[in-house]
Amino acid sequence: MAEDGRGCYVYGVVPDDRSDDAVKDLGAVGDPDAAVTLVLHGGQAAVVSEVPLDKPLGTPEDLRAHARVLDSLAAKSSPVLPFRFGTVVRDTTAVTGELLREGHDDFARALDRLRGRSQFTLRARYVQDVVLREVLTEQPEAVRLREELQGLPEEAGYDQRIQLGQLVMDAIAAKRALDVLEVDRRLGPCVLASISTEPSSAEGLVNASFLVEDDRRTAFEQAAEELGKRWDGRVKIRLLGPLAPYDFVADAMSPAKDPAEEGD
Amino acid sequence: MVTVASQQSQYLDRASSSALVDVVDLILDKGLVIDVYVRVSLVGIEILTIDARIVVASVDTYLRFAEATNRLDLARSGTETKGLPGLMDEIQEGGGRKKTKGALEGVKDTVSDLLQGDDEADESDDEAGEREEARRGESGDRPRHRRSSSRERER
Repeated sequence: MAEDGRGCYVYGVVPDDRSDDAVKDLGAVGDPDAAVTLVLHGGQAAVVSEVPLDKPLGTPEDLRAHARVLDSLAAKSSPVLPFRFGTVVRDTTAVTGELLREGHDDFARALDRLRGRSQFTLRARYVQDVVLREVLTEQPEAVRLREELQGLPEEAGYDQRIQLGQLVMDAIAAKRALDVLEVDRRLGPCVLASISTEPSSAEGLVNASFLVEDDRRTAFEQAAEELGKRWDGRVKIRLLGPLAPYDFVADAMSPAKDPAEEGD
Repeated sequence: MVTVASQQSQYLDRASSSALVDVVDLILDKGLVIDVYVRVSLVGIEILTIDARIVVASVDTYLRFAEATNRLDLARSGTETKGLPGLMDEIQEGGGRKKTKGALEGVKDTVSDLLQGDDEADESDDEAGEREEARRGESGDRPRHRRSSSRERER
């Protein structure tokens, strides 16, 4: 492939009993017409497609194609080991001769640890007006500043506006700290592992990924649903998944760590 | 369809979104960098990075929150307005190009920047999606310079 300016894009690795039905027509990274196929070796399969080497990768469609292939596999069954976007080897000979041969034991360990497990990603953010009303109800000082400002021209009230904004943001941060505990309390018992990133945006509540065992999936989804019900109208929650375990695969590959701290 | 049907949800948004911000958040800087684990010769291929940044200076944010609080009509309830005015303005998609060796290391910083803007960005997923669709018609190998944001009007 390399000779004619094409390489072999590698999405990830799955066990070799998977079929390519779920992915072959999905549209490949770098070339929507290329077929996504499985290259088998030693009980494992690399998910690959041909990719032109003379064209940079990274268009929105490329990124979507990468995720679509991996998530479609994850939706059918686990385990899936997702590779980082942009992983390209010379050709399918390099896949079998180098990648799958050299990596066999590490991939086997990671596949074993992630069998029957997939990732869910939850993003929650406050509904702005609703949370602001809460703050005004709970913080007399905010009400006072707001009333003071309403009689002032824009320039005159600068300090008060800064003060009001800071007070409101602090109050939201305090709510967030409590609400994050509630998320943990409800979802924690249903998951093997979780990773969250601090939402530094003003209205963000939580941005977290969870590793969920297949037989706990319904319980997890119900717990998330109950959380959504409890906060209906106040917090918008998006739940993505099942996904390929993007946030947990590195730990699963590591000889020492296991994302679920069990399973070896 | 290939996907397993998810259980019906009344209170959660379960839509599998193909909005760029979702995909970027999920995959970039994630997944196995295989040559860390496996002796394998990767083919270097040029990667376009999404140079997305959000700058939220704290004073600006305070002012915006004050403004949002001030324009709250207390008599009215339950109607959601758009997110904080202007917060999305700073998200810009530039055309950073990096020659990487296979695995995409180059986007680390820019992606973590983008993630900060994620919650606001979620809100405009639909718009973003449409814009991406529109741009897909362009030649795929050029860096993206613009991200026209419908939010700019709010300024």
